Amino acid sequence: MRRFLTCFFAFTFAVQAQAQQDGTEARAILATCLGCHSSKTAMSGLALDTREGILKGGKHGPAVKPGESSLLLDVVRHSGAIKMPPGGKLKDAQIAVLEKWVADGLPMAAKVAAAPVHWSFKPPQKAPVPAGTHPVDHFIRAKLAEAGLTMSKPADRRTLLRRVSFDLTGLPPTTAELTAFLADTQPGAYERQVDRLLASPHYGERWGRHWLDQARYADSNGYSIDAPREIWKYRDWVINAFNADMPFDKFTMDQFAGDLLPQATTDQLIATGFHRNTPINFEGGIDFEQYRVDHVVDRVATTGSVFLGLTLGCARCHDHKFDPLPQKEFYQFFSFFNNVDEAAAEKDRDNVQKPVLELGTPAEIRKKDVIQAQLKALQGELNVYRKEIEPKQEAWEAALKEGDIKKFRTSVQAALGLHVGRRNDEQAALVFETFANTDEAWRDRRATMRAVEKLQPKIITSLVMRDLPQPRQAYIHQGGDFLRKGENVSPGTPSVMPPLGNEGPATRVDLARWITSKQNPLTARVTVNRMWMRYFGKGIVETEDDFGRQGSLPTHPELLDWMAVEFMERGWSQKTVHRLMVTSATYQQASPADNALATEKDPRNLLLSRQNRIRLEGEIIRDAGLVASGLFAAKVGGPSVYPPIPSGVMNSGQNAREWVTSTGEDRYRRGMYTFLWRATPHPTMSLFDGPDASAACTRRNRSNSPLQALTLLNDESVKEFADALAARALKSQDPLGQAFEMAMARQPSAGERERLRRFVALQKDEAGGSELAAYAGLARVLLNLDEFMTRE
Amino acid sequence: MTDQDLTRRHLFERCGVGVGKTALAAMLANEMAASEQSKPHFAPKAKSVIYLFMAGGPSQFEMWTPKPQLQKLHGQFIPDSFLEGKRFAFMDTSFKDKPKLLATKREFKQHGQSGTWGSSLVPHTAAIADDLTFLHTVSTENFNHAPAKCFANTGFTRFGRPSMGSWVTYGLGSESKDLPGFVVLQSGPRGPRGGALLWGSGFLPTTEQGVLFRGSGDPILNLSTPKGVTPRMQNQVIDAIRDVDAMRHETTADPEINTRIAAYEMAYRMQTSGPELIDFTKESKETLALYGVEPGKPSFAANCLLARRLVERGVRYIQLWHTDWDHHDDLTKPLEDVCRQVDQPCAALIKDLKSHGLLDTTLVIWGGEFGRTPMGESRDGKVGRNHHIDAYTMWMAGGGTKPGMHFGQTDDFGFNAVEDPISMHDVQATVLNQLGLDHTKLTYQFQGRNFRLTDVAGKVITKILA
Repeated sequence: MRRFLTCFFAFTFAVQAQAQQDGTEARAILATCLGCHSSKTAMSGLALDTREGILKGGKHGPAVKPGESSLLLDVVRHSGAIKMPPGGKLKDAQIAVLEKWVADGLPMAAKVAAAPVHWSFKPPQKAPVPAGTHPVDHFIRAKLAEAGLTMSKPADRRTLLRRVSFDLTGLPPTTAELTAFLADTQPGAYERQVDRLLASPHYGERWGRHWLDQARYADSNGYSIDAPREIWKYRDWVINAFNADMPFDKFTMDQFAGDLLPQATTDQLIATGFHRNTPINFEGGIDFEQYRVDHVVDRVATTGSVFLGLTLGCARCHDHKFDPLPQKEFYQFFSFFNNVDEAAAEKDRDNVQKPVLELGTPAEIRKKDVIQAQLKALQGELNVYRKEIEPKQEAWEAALKEGDIKKFRTSVQAALGLHVGRRNDEQAALVFETFANTDEAWRDRRATMRAVEKLQPKIITSLVMRDLPQPRQAYIHQGGDFLRKGENVSPGTPSVMPPLGNEGPATRVDLARWITSKQNPLTARVTVNRMWMRYFGKGIVETEDDFGRQGSLPTHPELLDWMAVEFMERGWSQKTVHRLMVTSATYQQASPADNALATEKDPRNLLLSRQNRIRLEGEIIRDAGLVASGLFAAKVGGPSVYPPIPSGVMNSGQNAREWVTSTGEDRYRRGMYTFLWRATPHPTMSLFDGPDASAACTRRNRSNSPLQALTLLNDESVKEFADALAARALKSQDPLGQAFEMAMARQPSAGERERLRRFVALQKDEAGGSELAAYAGLARVLLNLDEFMTRE
Repeated sequence: MTDQDLTRRHLFERCGVGVGKTALAAMLANEMAASEQSKPHFAPKAKSVIYLFMAGGPSQFEMWTPKPQLQKLHGQFIPDSFLEGKRFAFMDTSFKDKPKLLATKREFKQHGQSGTWGSSLVPHTAAIADDLTFLHTVSTENFNHAPAKCFANTGFTRFGRPSMGSWVTYGLGSESKDLPGFVVLQSGPRGPRGGALLWGSGFLPTTEQGVLFRGSGDPILNLSTPKGVTPRMQNQVIDAIRDVDAMRHETTADPEINTRIAAYEMAYRMQTSGPELIDFTKESKETLALYGVEPGKPSFAANCLLARRLVERGVRYIQLWHTDWDHHDDLTKPLEDVCRQVDQPCAALIKDLKSHGLLDTTLVIWGGEFGRTPMGESRDGKVGRNHHIDAYTMWMAGGGTKPGMHFGQTDDFGFNAVEDPISMHDVQATVLNQLGLDHTKLTYQFQGRNFRLTDVAGKVITKILA
């Protein structure tokens, strides 16, 4: 011991002797480690900002044992199991500095100063914008000028109206809208269109659908059974919230904690469906708790990527490798969502979707409860009676003659043809029902039940959040495994962010308030960045769901911050930000890549010397077809619908779910209203990059595949649109030009017209001279053109 | 416009999400990766994969793994030490009482040079055991069907990640010019639990998702032209689309339009290649008899023959799903039926690939999402076996595996591995390895981290490689 102390003092002395001369370079390198390894964050228990911290080390032991070994050096040399920094090895010269510094005995003149805070954790600030300049254009032009580039000319008015119509409402302009805009030559004509579109109920559908991607909305439970669920009321709530331009802070509050607010309205309860859109597993033999935990984990990850642009989910199993987010803080965040009274054990199997809000009048709900109780009792009696008659089934089957069997429905015949053991549940039930219906008492009982069932009022329901009276204790799941209980934790937010500011035990209300607090540096930035992404194809921060250290840097940081601050200052009004973006000259530029200099200097058009062409989403391609054909049903909201679906889609999952094709106006509703089965999605969604709704989708792919081509060429719906479009166009003097304009909002060029005229003649020959068939062919061509499915 | 350009475009479009520290650098890196596309990391042994997925979990004890101790101790409680810390499906009902060991009623014989044990349920496959490589110690992470299927196919128990077929076509592209690179075929009384997500592309480009083919009618959704449209009219339509799109390209200079033109060309070719694929009239009677294909009748046998035809046409990854293996309460007729449905076609596929000279370059995989317990599970007086995830049997053939090999030893009850334990991640790593892909390098950046099929695990099972 004494010897050690002597050494230690000698060592200390040596350090002090050199302190003034050395250590500066080493400290500069260590500063870059402090995001995760400061006294404040101390991931893995390691703090590198003081000499004491380095000597003490973390859970892997001292970072440096003077004169003996240095874990620190092993780690930066990548010579052992642990390799740091996570973003990539230090340069050899830097490692050499640390080596010398360790050899010299860790001279440390002062505490290691914290590395600069990552840009996105600093509060956004508005840089000045010269009066009379559009703020967006100001910042965009500045960067273009630095690169020696300029903006493209404005898009022509037809392109512009089509673009802004798609972007704000997801619908192309009608011929009448186009004509009106072209006729309005007064100043402010474009701005008037923007106002009209923002006021359209279809604005809420368009931007609501973007939100629903992030909310992982679907109409079924997913997993094995993929039973239907009723949560379209939440979908409608989102649409209405957008249409009403609900401030984003309230929008967030209602979705996170509507149920906890005093005198919560029905709408606020419905809004909490946001965090109930997780898939639900209830296949036989599961441990319900495991899947409940998955829901909670998903809520954390969703909140991280949607609101904060942080990959919180990365800290589920271990401390975040790149951002200062210790695993413990993940479970503190987890704790906010851990108290929902959802299915957690086998006993909840009959109520797997709980909590569910019933949207009837109190009288209706009472009536429904009474009738359900009656039905339950009747079913009980029926089950008893079933046991009585079941023994006779075998004899009945044996006595059936071929003639009898032929009278049954083919499905019954098929089931009867199978050995009892080989019938699936459905077939067994079918045979039993056929047999039981030969029994008069059975028939009577069933008739009574059906009569009672008919009395039942149809009550719409929606999945909602509702907490348990007693909160569940959250704990750290070691290695991400919920069975390996670690330390208990209480609700809390990441320490790298501003404090939660709660009074009393933290709740989801505090969380929502914190997310949209003006001190929160991320939410506004992340939100406006994603709005920008929809208008230009990519965000100012391209990794729109990762504003952490692994994310890309903003191309226009000052613009992003300006808009983020504006968003907050203007009462979190999204329509204000939309107006700001779409009225900029930047947005209104033409999109052709016809400037060689720009293509050379900025091949990815990051500086925006032109607009970008963006392929429309699957639903929007459908919507565009509906509008062009005149079949479009404008109804907003309501239960999901069943437009035609190719045969074979619905039986590719475990349960062949029913798809009764909608008739009347519901056959022609917007794509976003198509019933979304998670296991068997409509091809319009799955083939055109629609989200699979297993987790939040903050940005869709835009792929381009032969299967998309086959769908647009051959699908029943598209053919129906084409036929209708042709019939409409044929009413015009110039059906070719008219059809083209209805699809593309412009007249064809001379070359296009000539090629299509030739095509119509060929089709007419082939179709035995039928004009209608020839123009239906033309319409099919138009609905398949790249331009048709592209926002120019 | 080559197909390689096509894939490059997909990647280019997609890489927005995937960009790392600096957008440009990562973009360029991805571009580089894209230009390396269709090039494996090292020389591949296999060009194609056929994965015969036995959905529901086949019982290794009735087919491939006789255990004398089970026969001897039938009806006795399994020692507690086996169950400690283990979780099972249906724990609260089926295993309420202490589970008892269950002997098999099947007769086993040794087959071939390899001395492979095979039961009377799988005579055809057992007869070609010398061509197969058996893995007896595979384990997985979840004991429920949908999550375990998800794990076997995507390396993760929750839905949303890319499937193995998507990773493979993402990494290698496809050699087929007329058919998708990843084809899915189904047979059995229902589709698999989880549905389309099992062959989904997750965060990879949607172009990598598996395409469901059917053996009759329209082999692909929307493959046939709408009613009233003749083939010639359809050709005129496709020609006109191409020409007008090309004019638009002149105006906009957007390379995406060229990709779309290529996609329509491929769609056009698929309208011929699809029906041609499922047309068995050029197959000999002997071949049809070998598989046991009844013309016009969809079956696992027909799908096996389709799989060989797909491999011939350069399709990269073919997955067959056969459902109905979930024998909780009956190991008699239901099991016999499903074995009969797959046994002969499996053997036929291997023989047929071999005689066409395709087995060396085609890796065939047979197995379920898990196996079944050595203990019996009793339901209403009928006895079967529960899901078992700690050790179960799969087999592989061709594609550079060691024929006639038995890998891994389980204990006397077949409960745990005692030698060479492996996981589904190891199987996945091995599949990629045979295709010339390093599973640790085939990554995709998404939500701030590099994802891969094998998550943070996986080791190539080198001992089974020739």
